[in-house]
Amino acid sequence: MLDIKDLKSRIGESEILRGLSLAVKKGEVHAIMGPNGSGKSTLAQVVAGHEDYEVTGGTVDYNGQDLLELSPEERAREGIFLGFQYPVEIPGVNNAYLLKAAVNAKRKHQGLDEIDAFEFLKLAREKMALLGMDPKFLNRGVNEGFSGGEKKRNEILQMAMLEPKLAILDETDSGLDIDALKAVAEGVNALRDPERAIILVTHYQRLLDYVEPDYVHVLSHGKIVRSGDKTLALELEERGYDWLREAATG
Amino acid sequence: MKSATLDIDRLREAVRQLPNRGLAPSREAALAHLDEHGLPTLRDEDWKYTDLSPLVDISNRWLHAGGHQPTSADRPDIADAIPGSIDAIWFVIADGAVDATPIGHSEARGIQVSRLSDAPPQFAAGRPLADLNAALRQDGLRIRITERLDKPVGILLIDRAGANVGVTQSYIEIEVAPDASADLIEYHVSDGEQDHYANSVLTLNIGEAAEVRHVRIQNRAKRHVQTGRTSVVPGRNAALRMASYDLGGALIRNDIDIDLGQPGADVSFDGLYLAGDGQHIDNHTRVDHRVGPATSSQEYRGILNGKCRCVWNGKAIVHKGADGTDARQANHNLLLSEKAEIDAKPELEIYADDVKCSHGTTVGQLDEKALFYLRSRGLGKNHATRVLTHAFAADLVQRAPVTAVTGTITDLVESRLGELIEADFIADLLT
Repeated sequence: MLDIKDLKSRIGESEILRGLSLAVKKGEVHAIMGPNGSGKSTLAQVVAGHEDYEVTGGTVDYNGQDLLELSPEERAREGIFLGFQYPVEIPGVNNAYLLKAAVNAKRKHQGLDEIDAFEFLKLAREKMALLGMDPKFLNRGVNEGFSGGEKKRNEILQMAMLEPKLAILDETDSGLDIDALKAVAEGVNALRDPERAIILVTHYQRLLDYVEPDYVHVLSHGKIVRSGDKTLALELEERGYDWLREAATG
Repeated sequence: MKSATLDIDRLREAVRQLPNRGLAPSREAALAHLDEHGLPTLRDEDWKYTDLSPLVDISNRWLHAGGHQPTSADRPDIADAIPGSIDAIWFVIADGAVDATPIGHSEARGIQVSRLSDAPPQFAAGRPLADLNAALRQDGLRIRITERLDKPVGILLIDRAGANVGVTQSYIEIEVAPDASADLIEYHVSDGEQDHYANSVLTLNIGEAAEVRHVRIQNRAKRHVQTGRTSVVPGRNAALRMASYDLGGALIRNDIDIDLGQPGADVSFDGLYLAGDGQHIDNHTRVDHRVGPATSSQEYRGILNGKCRCVWNGKAIVHKGADGTDARQANHNLLLSEKAEIDAKPELEIYADDVKCSHGTTVGQLDEKALFYLRSRGLGKNHATRVLTHAFAADLVQRAPVTAVTGTITDLVESRLGELIEADFIADLLT
């Protein structure tokens, strides 16, 4: 589904990704871990198409398409979803509008009619119930005045409504208390599907107790320095990142 | 700098052709005052950002063509002139001609209407453009509201396409009796390819403990020029909620003066201006807090795209002894083009001790993070831009004090924003 080869990217003058390769197949859940500044968020942003990040080398193939040629909105319509580490507050745009516009943008791309208003509400309420969200959030400004946990649930709600082929969740676990973490994890697990791939970008092992990954990768200095199964995450939890960093640079 | 001056001799001739001869003495007095003092120039502090020569030029061309008042043959249809159907008691000033017969509701209880010419006023020297109005107005509309009205009172000010360049004046006096309550709608619109200058004066006197909600919408044709002065005197414990929406026109200058001479008054006045290529929209507001306690608050927001210029100048003067004053002002601008210019100027003059005053001004572009967020959800760049721009305006639209016009304002703002951003989209493709 996603095949990244030797990807290099920088923002301004600083080079962040320095030859990263990663292959993700449908049905798989990958965890990308690594210390702060290792390039985890940059990878997520580059895959989603953020224009501040300049790609200076490498290729990204997404279901046979050159992903780097697509605009952020085209990537979204093709089934890529980025769950933001810091979801943006947008006063004046209500959540229901954004959800509906997003769903319809994708449906239009697929040649489908716009979603029926009744159908949309029913679906949104269902997904919200699953995430333990009050339906009133539909009529609030996007993330406006939401707590950290509410923002992250809102990201998962958008993901659930959009049913992406590839979801990248950027530190979705950060800043969550245990209840919110469980709710978010439940939301993610509900979306595990043989047709869908999920990439969890995380600093801590905690989320992986609830969402069990098939593969764990460690990112350091803009490269994947080690890959393994879920036991790698436990090892990192115990030993930290330094031993890997030394292994990578030494 | 010497700006163009009005051809006063031809103006005198035009004034003498006007109907309603009872108004002649006050017209002559206004003309004399105008002749003596002239129109303001860029050297006047209140006019330094707005050059009046386009309207002088239009006026002189009109005067040289004979200075005739357009003859309005038919009564305009409210539904044709204003989108959305607003259930209100309507009055019409078409091409400067006053129609004092209400439309829509034949028995308008709690409203007394008359023409200025029914009881001609003495001339009171005013600001230069008000003098021009007093000299050239055909007539005026006087509305007195004596009860708590259950329907809004609307005034349609419409200038229709003439074959020639045109100049029209409108004059409205509204008095709201003590304890009365009214929703007021003032709707300015025009069409036509010819140049036109419209000059309006509105005075609003609000009685003790009366409540007024007032919405002014300006949606003139692209080439048209409008100046307007709104003077408000709220009584003791009176409440005023006012909002203005400027969408059209080439050169627009609005002056709002609020004179708080009675304690307990609570006024708010907001404004939204949407400007595109070739537009110049200037909002000057002035609040005089003469006594306390009293509250005034204003929030103006602007969205500018293309080569255009807007001005917001908010003056609040807290006079000596006006303790207990609470004066707030805010002005926020979204500049979508490098060619757009805003001159934002808060002015607070405080001569009293126990006051709360605040002001804030921001000028900025669209939030790039929000733009990427929306695009990452599948919304196209143009769509996302429109959504964010609309969100910036949405607050002031939702706060429109007369709920009967909220739908109309929403539609007008939506459509104007569509034009502004579409234009930008095309410009992007060309560069």
